[in-house]
Amino acid sequence: MEIFWQLATGAALLGTEVAEEGGGFGLNFDILETNLINLSIVIAVVVYFGKGFLSNILGERRSAIETAIKEAEQRKQIAASALAEQQQKLAQAQNEAAKIRASAEDSAKAARDSILVKAEQDIQRMRETAAQEMGSDQERVINELRQRIAIMAMQRAENEIPSRLNDDVQQRLVNSSIAQLEAS
Amino acid sequence: MLNFLDAPHTLHLASLEVGHHLYWEIGGLKVHGQVFLVSWFVIGLLVVASLLATRNIQRIPSGIQNFMEYALEFVRDLARNQLGEKEYRPWVPFIGTLFLFIFVSNWSGALIPWKLIKLPEGELAAPTNDINTTVALALLVSLAYFYAGFSRKGLGYFAKYIQPTPILLPIAILEDFTKPLSLSFRLFGNILADELVVAVLVLLVPLFVPLPVMLLGLFTSAIQALVFATLAAAYIHEAIEGHGEEEHG
Repeated sequence: MEIFWQLATGAALLGTEVAEEGGGFGLNFDILETNLINLSIVIAVVVYFGKGFLSNILGERRSAIETAIKEAEQRKQIAASALAEQQQKLAQAQNEAAKIRASAEDSAKAARDSILVKAEQDIQRMRETAAQEMGSDQERVINELRQRIAIMAMQRAENEIPSRLNDDVQQRLVNSSIAQLEAS
Repeated sequence: MLNFLDAPHTLHLASLEVGHHLYWEIGGLKVHGQVFLVSWFVIGLLVVASLLATRNIQRIPSGIQNFMEYALEFVRDLARNQLGEKEYRPWVPFIGTLFLFIFVSNWSGALIPWKLIKLPEGELAAPTNDINTTVALALLVSLAYFYAGFSRKGLGYFAKYIQPTPILLPIAILEDFTKPLSLSFRLFGNILADELVVAVLVLLVPLFVPLPVMLLGLFTSAIQALVFATLAAAYIHEAIEGHGEEEHG
């Protein structure tokens, strides 16, 4: 800024100085000296040809931009409609997916229930058969034990008999047995 | 040195004032005031055009917005052609500014009857017909491509001086001096020469004869702006890409 101010003041100062000297700023209306006629012809030529050329080019540019914008807008509209269509399709597909999912969940639930029921039945059945088997086994084992115990008791008895049995005892035993028989 | 052109003063025809400048003294520096004035005019023109173009932005551009967008597209394509699709974006403002400033300067010098305004000394003309302007622009280009090279490769940028062979080192160093030199002198020379030719022709035959040269001057001016911007972009591209490494197209 400073330098501009200096420039301006300098210019003003110099201008006044030189003006006082006699040169000064001014206008020169000498037509020949200022080459006014030639310049005006040149300017006319430039304006005449340049105008046609420029307006042609600028018009073309403008129309090109216009068509480009129009095309772009058309494409935008097409794209928007396509987008709407696809969104609709998407919504449909989502609906369908939800439906399929719900039905799948239903069937899954049904399958689960049926499987659970069946499993319970199986368990029940297995329990019953297990209980049955256990009962029969117990009986068998008890029978076996009984037999074994009876056999062992008999053996012990047979072993004991010769040592504890003498004539007197045998006499008493026979008598008591006879008495029993009589009583009955 | 070109004062012989002042000779026909006595004939009361147009006088040529090459080498005369409107000096302003700022902080001990002598500056060419007429260059500043026209530069400000050009800058103002560009700023106003930009403001007008962006003041009421429409979706479908029309009028000046369309025109400035077209100009922007032109500069962008120029930068893209030189720098490639990947690198061109950050450089569009710089190259675009160069092109627009030089172009508007040249054409303002060739189209606007600056001589209507009389200065105490010197005369208003295109800023690019003063060597100081073009040297400043060319040095800016030098700074720009050094910046591009260093920001891309760091100190590895110096490797390009000895590639493909260290024998070319002096030439590679010399290039850094010839680039701004050729840039500035090309632009300055073309514009000044064109204005001088027109001025001399006007001096000799005031009417109609200078017309072809003036039209040619318009053409040259435009081409010079294009050349300057294109070369600037090419130098930046060279600094970014390096010598022949990944050069394509």
